[in-house]
Amino acid sequence: MAALMEVQNLKKYFKSHAGMVHAVDDITLSIEEGKTLGLVGESGCGKSTLGRTLIHLNESTEGRIIFQGKDVTRLKGKEMKAFRNDVQMIFQDPYSSLDPRQTVSDIIKEPMKLLGTMSSNEVEERTIELMDTVGIEKRLRMSYPHELDGGRRQRVGIARALALKPKFIVCDEPVSALDVSIQAQIINLLMDLQDNMGLTYLFITHDMSVVKHISHQICVMYLGQMVELCDRDELFAHPLHPYTKALLSAIPTVDIHKKKQRILLKGEIKSPIDPGQECRFCSRCVYADESCRQGVKLCEVRPGHMVACNKAAEINQL
Amino acid sequence: MSENKEQFFELQNLTVQYHSGNSIIHAVNDVSLSLNAGETLGLVGETGAGKTTIAKSILQILPKNSVENVEGKILFEGKDILQMSDKELQSIRGKAISMIFQDPMTALNPVKTVADQIAEGYRLHQGCSRAEAKEHALSMLKMVGIGPDRANEFPHQFSGGMKQRVVIALALACSPRLLLADEPTTALDVTIQAQVLDLIKDLRDKLGTAMILITHDLGVVADVCDNVAVIYAGRIIEKGSREDLFDHPTHPYTCGLFAALPDLEKNVNRLSPIEGLPPDPSVLREGCDFKERCPYTCRKCDEYNNEMIEKTQGHFVRCWRAAASEQELAEAPRHDGSHHRGGHHGKEHHGREV
Repeated sequence: MAALMEVQNLKKYFKSHAGMVHAVDDITLSIEEGKTLGLVGESGCGKSTLGRTLIHLNESTEGRIIFQGKDVTRLKGKEMKAFRNDVQMIFQDPYSSLDPRQTVSDIIKEPMKLLGTMSSNEVEERTIELMDTVGIEKRLRMSYPHELDGGRRQRVGIARALALKPKFIVCDEPVSALDVSIQAQIINLLMDLQDNMGLTYLFITHDMSVVKHISHQICVMYLGQMVELCDRDELFAHPLHPYTKALLSAIPTVDIHKKKQRILLKGEIKSPIDPGQECRFCSRCVYADESCRQGVKLCEVRPGHMVACNKAAEINQL
Repeated sequence: MSENKEQFFELQNLTVQYHSGNSIIHAVNDVSLSLNAGETLGLVGETGAGKTTIAKSILQILPKNSVENVEGKILFEGKDILQMSDKELQSIRGKAISMIFQDPMTALNPVKTVADQIAEGYRLHQGCSRAEAKEHALSMLKMVGIGPDRANEFPHQFSGGMKQRVVIALALACSPRLLLADEPTTALDVTIQAQVLDLIKDLRDKLGTAMILITHDLGVVADVCDNVAVIYAGRIIEKGSREDLFDHPTHPYTCGLFAALPDLEKNVNRLSPIEGLPPDPSVLREGCDFKERCPYTCRKCDEYNNEMIEKTQGHFVRCWRAAASEQELAEAPRHDGSHHRGGHHGKEHHGREV
């Protein structure tokens, strides 16, 4: 399958009074059509910034984003508009990402109206169809977001994202604000939509069990950089980076009989402001030595398994 | 959990109602719990189930202007907190019973250094000098892993995980006998969550503090608690030891919660969500609260008086199916007249039934 989206050496820096914030630093990856790439990492590691930069909500600082063979960073005018139709976003917080003064049907109609190629009858029909697709009852058409519960609100957000028949959707923590029983409903919905419409997702989350369930490939980020990228099963079976290992061991599980060997990380995540060239994890890493302060490179250690750690081979006896 | 007169902490038939507009919100309905000294109880439930309201009524910090009615008894070391005078309450709050709040970002005073905040409460309760209080504050901060070099910084200078440590130090400063932890790790990342949970467990074991841990995360409960109570729509629907709940979950809601979790060990293609939504809290229902969403609902549920049933010793379930025999379950008359479909939902939760 061909890659729908390719990212090459993407960087996104923000200016701050203390220096440059390296929010996304030199990310290279590709997402295949119809597949889901899970993006995991701690809060503040640049997951959302990467997602927003990919669909050009943020202008990138450096690097290329290639969507269907075209470099997004150079698109202008009509081409840019067409690109905007093809990519959409589902936001984390269903409470603040919907306009409180619009009704459910207005919210879903808005993107179609802005595009302006459909007659109002068509828009009306498509709205009903979308509400049906995401499972919102028709009687709620004229309701306002505050009248809905979190799960239904997230469904409205999904219907709005689907309105223009996009190819690529960035899901930014779409289930983190929901209760377990509702979370499962939304995850099932997203997976069904992918099967039926051939959607491609970038699925951002900090919940490892959710990402394992929904992703084909997983990218682990730490402080703006990619530390590990591989297939889902490979990641859970053979995590190679010390950070990924700690992350996996820290997940609380409901199995009370299994003894867990927890790797506790010492210290806190360091500042992303002008981080220098050293490995960004080295202050918390038990294996770090002098060579880690000279910087790290992303290498393919096993087939299809990229790791940014000088010691990966040594630690894992490869 | 025996009927001991000198029970350390007990809730008896606690009922809390708020008023909102013209309707009454039944937030907590007839909740009874007990806790021994040094024990940890997990209180699990979804948003709006009434978990935080229970914790706040224990400390009597419910928003006065919206509370309609509080009934029942909250017995702490034999005394009813609901009957206490303000002065008595003052001496308990923050000293004998203290609370870790959910959001470390808003639980701290932004214009006081962290050491001063801890010292303030300590001085108030212990009546010691400023210098002593400050010294104690520094030792508390050290215990949670914050060095004296950072003690004179303000909350905004700390990260989320560090702030939660400060909140924990604050809550433990007066060596409380009961600690209420309201979603202490929900706002934190997994790696930081692991650090904080280990810290809480460590301190609990060292100081012998009893704890009520409120969370929606079953993984956290499995990690920390001795006993568990599951709460749904303001009512406890299942309670028992950790082993009872995790090895033999019985109430269909509890089973549903387990089934809805993505499992790290197994690859399943579809999750099994609990269909529907929690019931409207402004309507007080007769009988089972879970009836509308329950995959096993049948005509027998209408007859059931909604009493807790003791399935095995100490394991209570609010569902008639807990005490029913295999045959009764199979013959349960469904509303549409058919018999039950059999293991469609719930019971097949990860095959951990022993």
